[in-house]
Amino acid sequence: MIRTTKKNPVDMIFSVVTGAASFTVIIFIVAILYELVHQSGPAIERFGIWKFLSSTDWNPVTESFGALTNIYGTVLTTFLSLLMAIPVAIGIAVFVTEISPNVMKGPIGIAIELLAAIPSIIYGMWGLFTLSPIMSTYIEPFLKNIFAGVPVVGILFQGTPMGIDILTASIILSIMIIPFTASISRDSFNLTPAVVKESAYALGATKWEVVRDVVIPYSKLGVFGGIVLSLGRALGETMAVAFVLGNNHRITTSLFDAAATITVTLANEFAEADTDIYLSSLFYLALVLFVMSFITLAAAKFFLLKAERKYSR
Amino acid sequence: MLEQIELRVKGLNFYYSGGIHALKQINLQIHSNQVTALIGPSGCGKTTLLRCFNRMHDLYPGNRYEGAIHFVKDDILSPDVDLISLRSRIGMVFQKPTPFPMSIFDNIAYGLKLKGTKKRADLSELVEKALHHAALWDEVKDKLNASAYDLSGGQQQRLVIARALAVKPEVLLFDEPTSALDPISTAKIEELMEKLKKEITIIIVTHNMQQAARISDRTGFMMLGELIEFDRTDKIFTAPSEKLTEDYVTGRFG
Repeated sequence: MIRTTKKNPVDMIFSVVTGAASFTVIIFIVAILYELVHQSGPAIERFGIWKFLSSTDWNPVTESFGALTNIYGTVLTTFLSLLMAIPVAIGIAVFVTEISPNVMKGPIGIAIELLAAIPSIIYGMWGLFTLSPIMSTYIEPFLKNIFAGVPVVGILFQGTPMGIDILTASIILSIMIIPFTASISRDSFNLTPAVVKESAYALGATKWEVVRDVVIPYSKLGVFGGIVLSLGRALGETMAVAFVLGNNHRITTSLFDAAATITVTLANEFAEADTDIYLSSLFYLALVLFVMSFITLAAAKFFLLKAERKYSR
Repeated sequence: MLEQIELRVKGLNFYYSGGIHALKQINLQIHSNQVTALIGPSGCGKTTLLRCFNRMHDLYPGNRYEGAIHFVKDDILSPDVDLISLRSRIGMVFQKPTPFPMSIFDNIAYGLKLKGTKKRADLSELVEKALHHAALWDEVKDKLNASAYDLSGGQQQRLVIARALAVKPEVLLFDEPTSALDPISTAKIEELMEKLKKEITIIIVTHNMQQAARISDRTGFMMLGELIEFDRTDKIFTAPSEKLTEDYVTGRFG
């Protein structure tokens, strides 16, 4: 007998249970957002939105707080890390999809996934104990010798290389996001239909020409989505950066200076937030990060969705 | 016209990387300025054979050829053949239209740029010529900068033919070029091939026996990796010498 109207009771329970599980996700998002807005209330009232975002003050003594130094640190380290990670990640993706022999594809893929699986605190420790001394004794003096005297670019390489600075933090961050960008780029490259690549080869194109003219243009939306996704991750990364960035609430132009990101400030300063307005300002800072991450994630989803539609045509 | 031989396949065997023996001892001759059709049931090796002519199988490791395909003086299968120049002499059109993610103009100019044509004026002239050649010019002349994806399937297929023609190949390989198209677009492409064979040699793989009968001068019938019969098209379809060929062309199997 085919039952059309009466529902099976087990099915009913099943839908209710799975539905409830799904709704908790929405409840959590709303609860977290509510808590952030609620806790930052006094700071929002005192500093407003624009003034908080544009002020470079971060002074617990005078109780004057602004987010700009933190936003600056966050945006700068994120930008630099993407700058270093993107070429490497795309190189990996090109090698894995188009060049490497089949036997190597698996091991490289696993290595990428392992890199992604390392907890970020370990990156931070490695950064502090291994990378930072290497940076301060070899790489940064070297860069300083070359670039410090050059006009314009020289601004980036002033001061004493300490190894705990924007450059080191950006490098750690870039190593952390390489796996994401690489694996999403690889997946996007794989969506290029073999027959389109073959027709480029059939016209006498070399491997490099096929990658440059067919594979990358074909998958650029997907790659771009992957980059934005990595950007979101870099924005929110805390532990890896906290070890090697210092905690310096000033806007500096040299890559050899310590700085502060939103996440690093939050991780370092809750314990010492002894006044209500200090605490509230930290929550406000967290709210700013929440909004920034939300926007980047939404943008990434948008591009990936657009890419998918294009391919499914 | 004196009939010339463009390609001479001698004792060709082909093995896919898994060891599958996909072509067995193929011998045939492709005549210049003719359309040669390869027919046979799915999996018979006709596409595999077609892809030997421009060494497409080399893109995937582990594939192996034996025997020879003589093209003018050279052996296409010799390991020291420059694949890039081979492929600009022997072009290919695929089953599905394969426009590149760029404008109509750039699609046609692509092969030309690969071959070293750089000047915009030269490119414009050659692109227009190729589009005329493929009977597409009137439909796209006002939107050369539009994306190639904006064209219909039939137009895309003619665009791809124009792109292949632009580099002036001597031979053009067609791998079921109309199987994804409607009858009107198919008719246009068949008409085009008829016209093109005055200048180039055409080899076409087709599932459609009427198509082979309509457009080809010679037909090869393949089965299970073997070339069962190769002859003039009218003979294959009216008086084949092999029983298998007769059964296939009369629709008894396949």
